[in-house]
Amino acid sequence: MSATLPSQASGWTHGQPPPNVLVGVNSLITGDLAFKRFHSRQENALVIGAHCTMDGVHFDLGQNGRMAIGDYCYFTNAVLLCEMEIRIGNYVVLGWNTTVTDTDFHPLSPAERIADAIACSPLGKGKLRPAVLKEPVLIEDYVWIGPNATILKGVRIGEGAFIEAGSLVTRDVPARARVLGNPAQVIGEIP
Amino acid sequence: MVDDTAYIETSFSFQFFRSTLPGGVAYGRGASTYLGTMFDVGPAGRVTLGDYALVHGARIICDEQVSIGDYALISWNVVLMDTYRVPLDPAERRKELELVPTRAHRLACADVPAHPIRIERNVWIGFDACVLPGVTIGEGSIVGARSVVTANVPPFTIVAGNPARIIRKLDS
Repeated sequence: MSATLPSQASGWTHGQPPPNVLVGVNSLITGDLAFKRFHSRQENALVIGAHCTMDGVHFDLGQNGRMAIGDYCYFTNAVLLCEMEIRIGNYVVLGWNTTVTDTDFHPLSPAERIADAIACSPLGKGKLRPAVLKEPVLIEDYVWIGPNATILKGVRIGEGAFIEAGSLVTRDVPARARVLGNPAQVIGEIP
Repeated sequence: MVDDTAYIETSFSFQFFRSTLPGGVAYGRGASTYLGTMFDVGPAGRVTLGDYALVHGARIICDEQVSIGDYALISWNVVLMDTYRVPLDPAERRKELELVPTRAHRLACADVPAHPIRIERNVWIGFDACVLPGVTIGEGSIVGARSVVTANVPPFTIVAGNPARIIRKLDS
């Protein structure tokens, strides 16, 4: 870790987190990019429990994004893209370079996507973006997610599930299932 | 151990290097590692880079042995892991996760079995691929971008996909 706080302190190594971020006791956030794309205007938009390690995590919350993370979570360089709601339980591990998103980012329909491209462009000042599909993501307690994995919108990952490295999860995962692949398939169960 | 002809773009690659073994990382002749490469190596871990091996930004998670052969080409955001670092059983994992925030370095380092990885000579691994514990990739083989390699790959074979499957053979 590039900089560490005293072991019982909580907070961010690079300054004060935004005011609508609550960080529990002994939870540590590192990395200068943690809040570079944090735009949420919700009250208590990001709530992080106690004893968490958020090493190099990107908290990329849109204006209406809300995210809750439990206690004793351990994330390494994860990218969390939240336009709506992401809820993560206790004792969850997110491996290096994992992405979790609750949105499709752009509309599916080609015509709407053109409108979106214009609205997102430097010439789109003030133009409203068309609606984009969003669905909350729920990651339950004791889930382990390996490095380079991707969790897409609307997915619920059951308690104690084990998501292998590099998996792309597009559907719900049962509790204690072991999944792998693109798209991720159940390959076994945690005994 | 670094051969005089090896190249290390940045010492940042050793931020998570904790091996206490002599030669915990060994660079061969003309071996090179570039920005983004991370040696996340535990106290008993050992990584070897063969002659002319080129690692362009891999995350090497090693508690026992990751060996990369001569002339191997490893692309960016590749994960080579010989261990999961945490127990598979959720109750056991909980104990480890309760210890992490008590440590100054805040790393998971549970005593779980590691299964060495061997990348043989002349192997080429595409970007964003993952190689899971215990895998050997045979001489001259190619792993396609974003593949996840869960089983051994024979020599002179192209594999791709998640999980990776054999696409075809290469002339040796």
